[in-house]
Formats: sequence, C-alpha cells, structure tokens
Amino acid sequence: MTREDIQRVVLAAMAGVNASRDADQQLQIAADALVFGPGSPLDSLGLVGLLVDIEDALRDEGHEVSLSDSRAMSQSRSPFRSVPTLVTYIDELLTSPA
Amino acid sequence: MSTRRILVTGASRGIGAALVSRFLDAGDTVFGCGRSAADTTHERYTHFAVDVADEDAVRGMCNEIRVKAGGLDVLINNAGVARMNALALTPPADARQVVDTNILGVFNCTHQGIRLLRKSSCARIVNLTTVAVPLRLEGEAIYAASKAAVESLTRITAKEVGPMGITCNAVGPTPIRTDLIAKVPSAKLDALVAQQAIKAWATVDDVYNVVEFFLRPESRMITGQVVYLGGIS
Repeated sequence: MTREDIQRVVLAAMAGVNASRDADQQLQIAADALVFGPGSPLDSLGLVGLLVDIEDALRDEGHEVSLSDSRAMSQSRSPFRSVPTLVTYIDELLTSPA
Repeated sequence: MSTRRILVTGASRGIGAALVSRFLDAGDTVFGCGRSAADTTHERYTHFAVDVADEDAVRGMCNEIRVKAGGLDVLINNAGVARMNALALTPPADARQVVDTNILGVFNCTHQGIRLLRKSSCARIVNLTTVAVPLRLEGEAIYAASKAAVESLTRITAKEVGPMGITCNAVGPTPIRTDLIAKVPSAKLDALVAQQAIKAWATVDDVYNVVEFFLRPESRMITGQVVYLGGIS
C-alpha cells in the first residue's frame, strides 16, 4: 500500500466523519490538514471514531492494523496530529514486522 | 424472536453458559468464549477456545465474528476467576491471574468489541461485577479489587462510548451456586446472604433479568450504572 493509498483512505474517513458533524465543526479535507489537537475541531472521542473508521477501511483493503498508541493524546508527539503524521504512522505499521 | 448478535465471555460454564442458553432460547445468535470447550451445541452458537487475557487471541476471535456476523449488538464481559484467600496468604501468581483475567480480559474484549458494536442500532456492553466490592469482604481482597476496577472501567467506558450510541453497565450478583464459589465454606456464604436486604440465594435468572433490562432498546438512557442483586448498595 503506497502513501498515496493510505492518504486516500485517511481523507475518505475524515470526509465520512464530516457527514455527521455540524457545519462549524467540519474537518478540513486536505493532504496537510490537522487531525487532532490545537487547531482541529476533533475532540478525543471524535478521534476514536475516526481511527476506528480508518481501521475498518484498511481492513476492507486487506490490511489489519490497530491504531492504538500511548502517544495518542499527546499535544506534541501524537501520531494523529495531522494527515501527514497519521499517514506516516500507518505506513510504519504496515511495513514493520509483525 | 430477537436476532441480536451477542458475545458472552466465560461461556464454558456457570453464569456465562446459562446466559448463552437463555439468549439462544430468545432467538439470538450467540458467540461464546472460554479457556475450555463448551457443552453448548446449537446452530446459532459458536464457541471460541480463547483466554480473554490473551490480546492476540481476542483480536483473532473478534475478526472471525466480524467475518461471520458483520459485527455485534451485545458484549457480555462475564469471564472471571476468583481466588478466595486472605491477602497475606494469596500467592502473587494467583493475584496476577485475577488481574489478567478480570481486568485486562474486560479491557481486551471491550477494546476490540467497540469496533464490532459501533454500527449496531442497539449496542450494549454489560460487565459482571460482584457484591464483594460494596461489602468489602474479607478473604476476597484481590478478587474484589479486580471487580472494583471493572466498575471503574464500566463507568468511564460508558462516557467514552456513549457518543457512539453504545451503553455500558454492570450487574453484581449475590451468591449463586456456581463453580466460582464451590470452594467457599457454606457458613461464609450463608452469612453473606444474611447481610442482604433480600435474604435468599440468587439464581442465574436474576442475573439474566438485569442483563435483559440493560439490553432493551428502551434502556438507551441507562449507562454507567452498577446494579447489585439482593438489595446490596
């Protein structure tokens, strides 16, 4: 799975999350968009829903990953801070030995 | 007849096996797991030989349920072990096993279960606790402590999964004649029953009654609650 493939899955999941969010709480859908933390309207519970959506989408494409990370809620080190960091994180999970 | 998809942990015997039987009678599709095989055989029952403390095994089980049923409507975290002993005489290995099964087992199954439940229109998690928590029973320190943790997990999980439309509650039975307490002296159990507002032994049907209350669609506003049998509070 290429980074472009992963980014496509992430952005599609973010768009799916937006479908159930108010107009003033929409996530930006862009390759460099923030996902979680300062500047993003997504709270921790919303992040959980998004990450599970991404897990489901990756599973549908034949990739089993668990997006559980002790740094999840960290303001500075969270791999879920932005689309690029999230894509990198998933790419590392997919390419690291089981 | 209902068509709920239900996972019961600790389904090989005791309360778990009895709940499986009642759910099957109600028309549900039931998945069960336990460290040992189950006596239950039914066209709507699938048993997994899985230790809930084994994170990888729980993930594998949940993946199989996803393939077979597409998800879950109900998770019953019933699996538990008890080591009735004075704290000073409890081997640390026993304490570790209680923590692994009773706390991490609930964590593992809930962690994976949320992923299966969240698309259900009536998603429910029910955890099993014990009256040993509010009664602070001597000789049950590690068991009661583990179940106190389960109660905290219940209340906090309820907050975290509420926005997903999932409720999470717990039921705490008074003594029931199951294998779990088979080695506890009868005089001690009789004394425990005597402390209850309703001074009678409970049955699995009393547990099922509370569980079914939590599972009803009308109970959508009931979450983060711990209900003890027998008038214990």
